[in-house]
Amino acid sequence: MKTTGMMKAAAFSAAAMVFALPSAAADKPVFGLVMSFSGWFQPIDADTIAGAKLAVENINAAGGVLGQPIEIVEFDNKSEPPLGADGAIDVIDKGAKAILFPSDFDFGAPGAFIAQQKNVVAFSAASDPKFGAKGIGPLAYSVSNAGQAQGALMAEWAYKEKGWRKAYVLLDNTISYTKSLCGSFAERWKEIAGAGALLGEDTFLNGDPSIASQVTRSTSLAEKPDLVFLCSYAPGGPSAIRQMRAAGIDAAVLTGESMDGDYWIGSVPGLSNFYVVNYGSKYGDDPSAEVNAFFERFEKKFGKKADVSYGLRGYSAVQAWAIAANKAGSLDGDKVAAILDTFDKEPLVVGPTTWTAERHIEATRPMAIIGVKDGKFAAEGRFSVEKYPEF
Amino acid sequence: MIERVLQTLVDVVSVGGLYALTALGIGLIFGVMRLINFAHAQLIMMAGYAILVLFSQSVPLAIAAAAVVAILLALGTERVVFRPLRDADPATLLIASFALSFFIEKTMIMLVGSRPKGVDFLPELARQIEVAGVRLQLLQIVTIAVSGALLIATTWFLRSTKLGLEMRAAAENFRMAQVLGVRANRVIAVAFAMSGILAAAVACLFVAQTGLVQPRMGLQLVVIAFVGSVIGGLGSLPGAALGGFLVGAATILLQTLLPAELRVFREVFLFVAVALVLLLRPQGLIPAPGLKARV
Repeated sequence: MKTTGMMKAAAFSAAAMVFALPSAAADKPVFGLVMSFSGWFQPIDADTIAGAKLAVENINAAGGVLGQPIEIVEFDNKSEPPLGADGAIDVIDKGAKAILFPSDFDFGAPGAFIAQQKNVVAFSAASDPKFGAKGIGPLAYSVSNAGQAQGALMAEWAYKEKGWRKAYVLLDNTISYTKSLCGSFAERWKEIAGAGALLGEDTFLNGDPSIASQVTRSTSLAEKPDLVFLCSYAPGGPSAIRQMRAAGIDAAVLTGESMDGDYWIGSVPGLSNFYVVNYGSKYGDDPSAEVNAFFERFEKKFGKKADVSYGLRGYSAVQAWAIAANKAGSLDGDKVAAILDTFDKEPLVVGPTTWTAERHIEATRPMAIIGVKDGKFAAEGRFSVEKYPEF
Repeated sequence: MIERVLQTLVDVVSVGGLYALTALGIGLIFGVMRLINFAHAQLIMMAGYAILVLFSQSVPLAIAAAAVVAILLALGTERVVFRPLRDADPATLLIASFALSFFIEKTMIMLVGSRPKGVDFLPELARQIEVAGVRLQLLQIVTIAVSGALLIATTWFLRSTKLGLEMRAAAENFRMAQVLGVRANRVIAVAFAMSGILAAAVACLFVAQTGLVQPRMGLQLVVIAFVGSVIGGLGSLPGAALGGFLVGAATILLQTLLPAELRVFREVFLFVAVALVLLLRPQGLIPAPGLKARV
């Protein structure tokens, strides 16, 4: 009798499993990472991925999402943007309810469009506002500050905090982020310092073996600039700094999040008077205690210091989704998005984040500015932009 | 004003020299094998990594290692990839060189990652010196000197040594040279080794200037230098060097002379100029005698 009962129970639970599996999978909080785990984009995504994994661990320890632990499913787009669409289909088939895509509009968009169609929330750390309601759809969110606001922030900071008055702009004209960054700096700088305070603008391409001509143009200016606003990324960016310093240009060099991190400092070991805006100082001196604690947890989990500040963004994407899903009491993309749209200074680790139905990217959230002196990086503080070009 | 003109001249000659060296390395191989070797970029890149590994210990050692790595890689690829294809048509060779180029680059991305690595190579060159009252960058002067010396050395080798004579003969008419007793394997191997030396020199100058190595380095140089060797006259060594120099010089001049709003279209102007040269002189500026009959 006892055995039959047990067998019955076993058979019942087996049958229940067979029938219940699909719906159980559908209700589990599964977070997809469709990122560049390999290829040339890999170092850009690596810390964002690590940040997301750390968030999953921390949130699960605190009870998970809707009482269940978050599961991660991964897909490597091999640094090929079109593969992001295959990746989105793959992880959604495996039950993903939200997906983190690579930190660039062109890399993230192909998959995000699929997620949008399948009612799955898409996150990215792209600094391009197109990764949002307007460019992709109501389910796409960027955890970054818009590139258009970062340039303006640096212009205000340089003018007010540093008292610099003459600027020169050097644009690496290869990606849309650098163009938005320099465009926003130049516009805001002319507003606050006057049109004459922008001594000149020049362009180069990231792959250019030499910026000799650009360097000569700026050293030949009648007036010496207090600062050069450089919109670039590695390898072109550090190489440009090395060439400028070698030519005796010792003006301050300011730049955006695309030159975050200290991995390239070997190019210009004794660098001084360099300032970069990013999401938080990984050097233990951020004004936000939460950011410092984040980087400590990061180091503990991965056994090495963070490379760049991008981990904060990967962490915040998972954090935002978990908060919204728990509040919505649902994993459905549209229901979660309805809550995300009501975020009003939501305390994510990347900073207090506000999203609305129209705008799924931050502009005024404080950002950290990191200064470099004698090759050593240290936080200058956190600053918010007051006014920036509309986007 | 004088200072600006002189500085621009130095910019033009130093960047032109770098491209001329790269184009000469490509031209050497095309001359003897009709092979456009896009993997020349990876010779530069691997030499760059040799510098990265050793520069902090000893500069001469790093330079020697760069040369050894580039020469061995050049000889190795010739032996393994290009020798079996020697009788294949040029299109096959071109595809093979693309495949090789991708293979080496992607292998390096797998092994060391794609993130650029900082190399403060020869920082003593990153300062300025006064020449005739004008402040000039030492590295640019060195680049000009090294490019000039290597161009002269290559010319001397080709004109004054038996191997050089054989190489010129092979470049002009490979089959005829073989019939007359020129040993193909040796001539081709020497050409590859020389292209390796030129690639290592470019790597040293390039790394000293940019302070970085990464798996994709050298690609831009090789693509532009290849265009240069085409307008110079494919198969002609003086043509390759001249074409490389002119294209490099033209990028700097366009960057210097174009008004700000047109500067972003620099490449368009460059390639229109290239197209014009090819329309007016389809064989290139200094046509290779051996190629005329083939076209």
